[in-house]
Amino acid sequence: MPKTASLVTAAAALALIVLVGLPVLFILLQAIFPEFARGSFAEPFSKLAIITENDRLLTQARNTLMLAFVVIIGCLIFGLPIGIIRGLYDVPGARIWDVVFLVPFLIPPFIAAIAWMMTLQPRGYLEQLTGIDLGRFLFSFVGVAFVMTLNLFPLVYFAVSRAFEAVGGRFAAAARVHGAGPWRAFLIITLPLSIPAIAASLLIVFAMSIEEFGTPAALAARTGFEVLVTGIYTRLSDWPIDLSGAALGSVMLMALVLAAFMLQNWIATRRSYISQTGKPAEIEKAQLGPWRWPVLALFWLVALIGVVIPLAAILVTSLLGTISGGLTLGNLDLRHYAPLFSPGSRAAQALMTSGWLALATAFATAMIGGIVAYIVVRGTGRGRAVMDGLSVLPNAIPAIVLAVGVILAWNSPFLPITLYGTAAILLVAYIGILLPYPIRYAVARLRQISGSLDDAARVAGASQGRAMQHVTLPLMAPSLIAAMMLVFAIASRELVASIMLAPAGMRTVGTFVFAQFEQGSVQTGMAMSVVAITLTSGILLAVNLWLARRGGNAFTG
Amino acid sequence: MIRTFMLAASISLGASVAAQADTLTFYTAGPGGLADALSEAFTAETGITVNVFQATTGQVMARLEAEESNPQADVVVSASWGSAQDMHERGLLMEYVSPNAEMAPEFLSHSHYVAQGISALAIAWNTQSDTPRPSEWADLTDEAYRDLVTMPDPSQSGSAFDLVAGLEASMGEEAWDLLAALADNDMIVPGPNAAALNPVLQGAKAVVFGAVDYISYGRAAAGESIEVIVPESGTVIAPRPIMIFESTQNPDAAKAFVDFVLSDAGQALVAETFLMPARTDIEGLRPGINELNVIEIDEDAVAARRDEIIARFNETVIER
Repeated sequence: MPKTASLVTAAAALALIVLVGLPVLFILLQAIFPEFARGSFAEPFSKLAIITENDRLLTQARNTLMLAFVVIIGCLIFGLPIGIIRGLYDVPGARIWDVVFLVPFLIPPFIAAIAWMMTLQPRGYLEQLTGIDLGRFLFSFVGVAFVMTLNLFPLVYFAVSRAFEAVGGRFAAAARVHGAGPWRAFLIITLPLSIPAIAASLLIVFAMSIEEFGTPAALAARTGFEVLVTGIYTRLSDWPIDLSGAALGSVMLMALVLAAFMLQNWIATRRSYISQTGKPAEIEKAQLGPWRWPVLALFWLVALIGVVIPLAAILVTSLLGTISGGLTLGNLDLRHYAPLFSPGSRAAQALMTSGWLALATAFATAMIGGIVAYIVVRGTGRGRAVMDGLSVLPNAIPAIVLAVGVILAWNSPFLPITLYGTAAILLVAYIGILLPYPIRYAVARLRQISGSLDDAARVAGASQGRAMQHVTLPLMAPSLIAAMMLVFAIASRELVASIMLAPAGMRTVGTFVFAQFEQGSVQTGMAMSVVAITLTSGILLAVNLWLARRGGNAFTG
Repeated sequence: MIRTFMLAASISLGASVAAQADTLTFYTAGPGGLADALSEAFTAETGITVNVFQATTGQVMARLEAEESNPQADVVVSASWGSAQDMHERGLLMEYVSPNAEMAPEFLSHSHYVAQGISALAIAWNTQSDTPRPSEWADLTDEAYRDLVTMPDPSQSGSAFDLVAGLEASMGEEAWDLLAALADNDMIVPGPNAAALNPVLQGAKAVVFGAVDYISYGRAAAGESIEVIVPESGTVIAPRPIMIFESTQNPDAAKAFVDFVLSDAGQALVAETFLMPARTDIEGLRPGINELNVIEIDEDAVAARRDEIIARFNETVIER
């Protein structure tokens, strides 16, 4: 292997070890040695009894799994049809829809849950407007799954639409030429070739729904079921805290995600899904024709439920003078926005902080993730084997667990200097938490791109670096850009790690909103959400329009 | 990437050098606005910068424990008196009696920690809820409040835990009968304090059993149709200890900050949040400690029985 390549491999491996391996190691040590945080290795394994002592952990694990499966089904219902149509057909306003369906990521899940609560609960907005009270639906198992689905279905939409776009109509067209009907071509060509991307997105949905905290915390307590994450959080946030119990729960959570990841990996690697062989082909999407209006109606319906209603509820809440005053014209008031726009306000600082953190995280994760994915799919020899193992790690570790691991690792007494207590620690945590997106997206994408394209460039005299720069990278770009947009959206409202790691004096959008909700005014928290969502979607819309203007080259993502 | 790390390392180095200068790190439970107001006023007076970390008591405690081998906080305010006792027993606190602590009641002033402010637990009732105005804890078991009562979860709200322990101390076994009757009346336990109050604001529920009073007074002052009712039969108070950590690199600044919080100006800021000021000579914006029938709790005994009390609460109310 050329020297630069092995250097890059080593650097990427080091990044994974530092960003993710270290926190995981410290969590495991904490799970085994209860006194580890105090620097002692006393009484190893004495806490393992928690697992068998009562069946609470196991009940939580069962609830977690059930919830995740229902959310996966929900995401398929909401995300799959529109994703397929977006990928294969020329949908009017396609790029606008992309931004619209990014919006659910910009809404902090727990704010979305509050918004649904204020809409559907007795005397909520829906009842005030129409007399219908859907409280019983919302505060049920299905209701929690419904709200979580609305946070997560865009993952399926984006992955599916990118995959189907890449597979394109070309393979299906070939099948049609050979006599297959449109449905047959879809079922035996397009769908199977897109399976790695769909499986990857479902895995992310699975991982995110089992590690999601906001929604179950806001809603599940009302329905009386606990999940693993709320259990871990309780152990971590209720004094006296139980680090070891939390670490044990985390290990269980990691095991679940790891199992799902293995399954997805098995699906993705047991056969070839190469669809980009380099044959020149204009990517031309099929026209919808008479289906144009029904399709648009479908997109509107999904957007109404997934985006418009929660956004409207957040906006309306931010405008209410008093909550108990209800939806009356006289009760509408802008006064809760005032604290946000006072000069030098903490809200403005929080927006700036979250903005640069999200931007830096998006670039850093895309860079590391792209390299890791490339080595995992295309690498050879020992570097690849090591990386294959390491790249699994970030997938298996929920945000809250990583945050605790980061605290334990970076506070360790043997470090001469530490990032802990500085803004950089948040960046380290964000990268560790969000690295899975670029890795998974890029791996799934690379599996669709034939290695012979690289080989052709090498035969034509290009160096490995040049081949990567001019061939593989442009082909990976759509998935990396999609992943970066996701990372930016999620990082700009990250909550759990921010609460636990932000140095004193530093505020992010997530912690500001959370603090308003816990201690200040619900309306100001909602007002801040409105401002943050507007800014972030504005930025993403601008990026998307810029990409559209550059259209026609390889960046068709 | 290597460059990223070098950059990050140099940022951190710069920050740790800066930390030697006149700055103070202050971890505090809510209310959020209070921490900012106190730190800004303190900076204006002394020129010392205060970095604030504001969260729930549980989060503050979790962070302190996680940072145990590399402590960051100089001064901490918690909403749970028991947490200060616990940290003192573990030798984490620095002894300091502020000269301004003289006017705080004796039982709220300890050699290593002192109350910053005091909250009490109450009934928060939505006046537009078409329900009769309750005046006693037991009123909420009435049919008129069926499916309309919320309560903060004692396992997530330290003050709600204190209420359960306090009711048990004053009523004995009857406290558990009361809780069981509330559960029979379909009371919900939706989470920490905010989660219990918010459904009542919109009217989905009518009344909170065991609301933290200053939050409810604050919402009422903001125009919400909420009335805070303190039962005459008695309630518990939750003093909020302020303490200096033994590990502080900046003990003089930390002491100055504690002095400031207990000064006339500092206590006036505390009063503005509808907490009771710790100093008896400072006027509060709401009924003070002498106007309440306070149920006394033996914090040590109660803390030792925490798991047992929570388990019984879960059995009686949540898993009924």
